Amino acid sequence: MKEKPRSRKEPKPRTNKAPKPGKRDENKERTKERILDVAMKLFQKHGLDGTTTKQISRQAGIAEGTLFNYFKTKEDLALFFFQKETDSLIEWFRGEKDLQRAPLAEKLFAIIHRQLEYLEPCEDFIGAVFFRSLQPRSKLSPLSLESQEFRIKYLKFIKEVLSEAEEEKEIPPLGDLGAYAVGLFYIGIVTHWLHDPSNGKQKTLAILDRCLQMGTRFVKKEGWEW
Amino acid sequence: MGVVNNKNKSFARGARLAQLGAGLAGSYLAYQLQRPFLSDEKQKSRRQSLNNKQATSVREELQNLRGPIMKVGQALSMQTHALGPEWIEQLSALQMQAPPMHPSLMRAQFKSAFGKYPEEVYRSFEPKPFAAASLGQVHWAVTPGGDEVVVKIQYPAIREAIESDFTLLKTAGFAARLTGFLKDSIVQEAQRGILEETDYLLEAKNIEYFQKALQPLDFMRTPKVYRSLSNGQVLTMSRVPGMRLDEFLATKPSQELRNRVGASLMRLFFFQLFHVKALHADPHPGNYLFNLDGTIGLVDFGCVKYLKPEAIRCYGLFWSREWLHDDDLYAEVVHTVFGRKAAVKDAHVRRVMKEIAGFYDKFHPLTPNPPLLDVGDPKFMDSLTELARTLIKNKFLSADFLFLSRTESGMCNLLHILKAQLPSTKIAREYIPVITNK
Repeated sequence: MKEKPRSRKEPKPRTNKAPKPGKRDENKERTKERILDVAMKLFQKHGLDGTTTKQISRQAGIAEGTLFNYFKTKEDLALFFFQKETDSLIEWFRGEKDLQRAPLAEKLFAIIHRQLEYLEPCEDFIGAVFFRSLQPRSKLSPLSLESQEFRIKYLKFIKEVLSEAEEEKEIPPLGDLGAYAVGLFYIGIVTHWLHDPSNGKQKTLAILDRCLQMGTRFVKKEGWEW
Repeated sequence: MGVVNNKNKSFARGARLAQLGAGLAGSYLAYQLQRPFLSDEKQKSRRQSLNNKQATSVREELQNLRGPIMKVGQALSMQTHALGPEWIEQLSALQMQAPPMHPSLMRAQFKSAFGKYPEEVYRSFEPKPFAAASLGQVHWAVTPGGDEVVVKIQYPAIREAIESDFTLLKTAGFAARLTGFLKDSIVQEAQRGILEETDYLLEAKNIEYFQKALQPLDFMRTPKVYRSLSNGQVLTMSRVPGMRLDEFLATKPSQELRNRVGASLMRLFFFQLFHVKALHADPHPGNYLFNLDGTIGLVDFGCVKYLKPEAIRCYGLFWSREWLHDDDLYAEVVHTVFGRKAAVKDAHVRRVMKEIAGFYDKFHPLTPNPPLLDVGDPKFMDSLTELARTLIKNKFLSADFLFLSRTESGMCNLLHILKAQLPSTKIAREYIPVITNK
């Protein structure tokens, strides 16, 4: 087999002068976060479709080309938003020592409420994303491979929470279906929250709590048998 | 979306209520069927046990429904005393037993109502409530300035839930089933009262009004409102010292102390009626706090009734019994109690008026040197309950009179539990102005 001549465009081996990979990744992550921050504010102001990549890059202080290196489309930006949300949720939950001892219904309430709080500053953007995710070809669709990463991470986290309750004999074993059920319930709650006209969206709080109390009571009694 | 949910929720509650109604009707039918075959004695005991069974069933059902509908059931039954003592006992238990919000829901609700988490507002905040009310719950806290306070937090979206529950009540006819003979205006009055209870700013206003008005009674303690730490759904108040009635009784207070506290409660009632001209109209025992030095704390001013002058005058007439000898005064009392259209000479009206006079002859005898009134005597409470039942059956009661009578029964209930012996006539004379023909 003939060895191919090395192309001129192929990256050169790293020299000692180049920044360390950890540092470079850190910088990259910081830039991504800055872009996300700017984009969220613009989406909230002008809507998902009304915001241009030019506006985002200008406000983030980078060239439009550089923006595309980080995010190919606005949907990629939205996916990054949800990845960050899932990561911060898991980190927060593990740090809440009192919550670890709470009954399952309260744990799930606190988790979903924390998610709603995260979404609160960009409510209009979330509404637009929900609408967009109904399109089968969208990267935001629940069936797209691109969105699976954060979804699987979220479902695994919920499964962990449910498994802890199973180990404590609070509920019978539910398998993976338990996590999927909570995931679907969360989507329903977000839809209600988006359309909730009550003062401080308190109806959503009431419904969230009652559903979780009722759901866990059913599951405790009969598992999946009911 | 919200509308669909409301409908579903109402439907689910409707189904529960219908089930409850069917359950009650079922056991009542069984009782009616057996009735002809029972002796008088047996009939009485069977009826008593049926009442107990039904009361427990209503309480359990209301407790499962939680929130406003529970309050509705409680308010309707307590306000109207259409039900026997066994019902009142079961329903009054609800106030203390309402399932509390868990700490995460409480924090979420506090932030939704106040814009910040409790720990950002207070120096310290106890996440576990020390008392659960049916429309909210109460927590201990310390203000940034270091004052020990209590913080009342309302359940989320309670106002909307009450409105939807009342719509349901009217359609399901639950009120009628629960009490047997309630007219719409009473249900509406209950709705107005309960909706008012959801506005904590109104409650703050009531507290401030009573705090000032009750100053002449040196044995009374009322809370102070922290306005900057309160809004429509969060109410911060100073801590009022005292024990709940059961805790107070557990200290085995002497008869002298019971009598003194009892006399103070009676003075409080008359003072509110004739001087404040407004009533703390939620006579639940949990709203009174007792101290060993005889002072009494009064809390929860969600349900306050500002009275019309004619209702106050009518009550004065009841006590003075001048109306028994004066046709004009008699007509005035009849019209205040039963409404303008009531026929003064109607035999039924006369019978009810005679019963009223009979009750006040026991409560407040006008004979020279009457003995101390022993409110611990069950016969006295029976006559009060009987009078209340007679009155409510007439369907004509004015709203003012309803609240007046509810507060009076509440006071008598407290005096009864305290087993107080009182110079009731002497106390009444201290406060009730002499009322003659206009």
